[in-house]
Amino acid sequence: MKKFVDESWLVLILGVVFAVMLAGAQTGLQAKIVANEAEALNTAVSEVVPGVVDKEELTIDGNKVFRCLNAEGKLAGWAVQAVGPGFIDKITIVVGLAPAFDKFTGVKTLKHTETPGLGNKIDTKGELNFYPLQYTGMKATVPLALVKAKTGAENEIQAITGATYSSQYVMDIVNDVIERVRPKLIEQR
Amino acid sequence: MAEENGSNLKQFTDGVVANNPVLVQLLGMCPTLAVTNSVENAIVMGAAATFVVVMSNLITSLLRNLIKPHVRILIFTLTIATFVTIADLTLKAYMYKVSQQLGAFIPLIIVNCMIICRAEVVAIKNGVGRSLADAFGIGLGFTLALAILGVIREWLGAGTITFPGFAPIAVMPDAFTANGHNWIIMILPPGAFLTLGAVVAIVNQLRMKSEGGAA
Repeated sequence: MKKFVDESWLVLILGVVFAVMLAGAQTGLQAKIVANEAEALNTAVSEVVPGVVDKEELTIDGNKVFRCLNAEGKLAGWAVQAVGPGFIDKITIVVGLAPAFDKFTGVKTLKHTETPGLGNKIDTKGELNFYPLQYTGMKATVPLALVKAKTGAENEIQAITGATYSSQYVMDIVNDVIERVRPKLIEQR
Repeated sequence: MAEENGSNLKQFTDGVVANNPVLVQLLGMCPTLAVTNSVENAIVMGAAATFVVVMSNLITSLLRNLIKPHVRILIFTLTIATFVTIADLTLKAYMYKVSQQLGAFIPLIIVNCMIICRAEVVAIKNGVGRSLADAFGIGLGFTLALAILGVIREWLGAGTITFPGFAPIAVMPDAFTANGHNWIIMILPPGAFLTLGAVVAIVNQLRMKSEGGAA
């Protein structure tokens, strides 16, 4: 026992000291980190549901859904937070649904690690990014299909050149919202 | 006194130029290749790594007479892991967007061999002054090397330069990106290897010339 303590007392003391430092850092910074994540979510919700001033949170089948109210206190739309696999790692998006559940009012990528310059075009940055804007106004009643060139059918989403997989993965998450979350949301609203 | 200060300064400048961790020692290749796709990512990674190497060298140097040889790697790793976690939490709190961009590479600073190398080679054997001079030099050298690579890759790959906390600055005419003339490959992994290879080749050439000239 004495030999053990002799050899390792410094490691044990440092272990305790560092643990205290980490606990302090965590406690001190956690509030700010949570606020950052909430702000990112709020920005995303206000981008996908026009006119939202207030929202209430619900959980529908494991997804976070926000019932968004406009300035008059009426329903402005729904924002669904959804996660799915991406090309590199998970992608988290926020999908905006119209109050009548018939159309999408927008799709915004909240968190992703897709390839810079290619897959990261799923995130709206600048006027050249057409991909997320396609979802605005799309019908939310039938699953969407990914195409390389549009043929005029109403449920088509055009893939990003050089980023077919990333485009597919985001669309899969949106389709999951259409097929799984939307029916339950309509029931439980 | 003057001699010791002189050699502290040399320790510092060596870390930046003669013994640059990325371009001369070829250490820390993984973050170098991964995060130099933009200048913003490169500088923030460099700053985080500098913070960790400075704190690690400081603590190791202060405790150098107490650290027993057979537990030194354990103590180095413990120290580095603690400060990397603090850096990670700080970035998530104060530079959320960049922290998202850097993703897993901030926690991976723990295994950046450049940092544990300085603890083993310098901090365990020298006083605080020398160890800090070394840490700042190596940190600055790392940041500069990453920044150089970041400038080249982002300029050619995206036509912009992004400084931390600022919007991207377009450095190429609009036609460069609008017509797809930008070299996408530069911001992808192959571009990282190509750029690093080219820069190391130039650095080696300069080193050979300066050594040849001196002799």
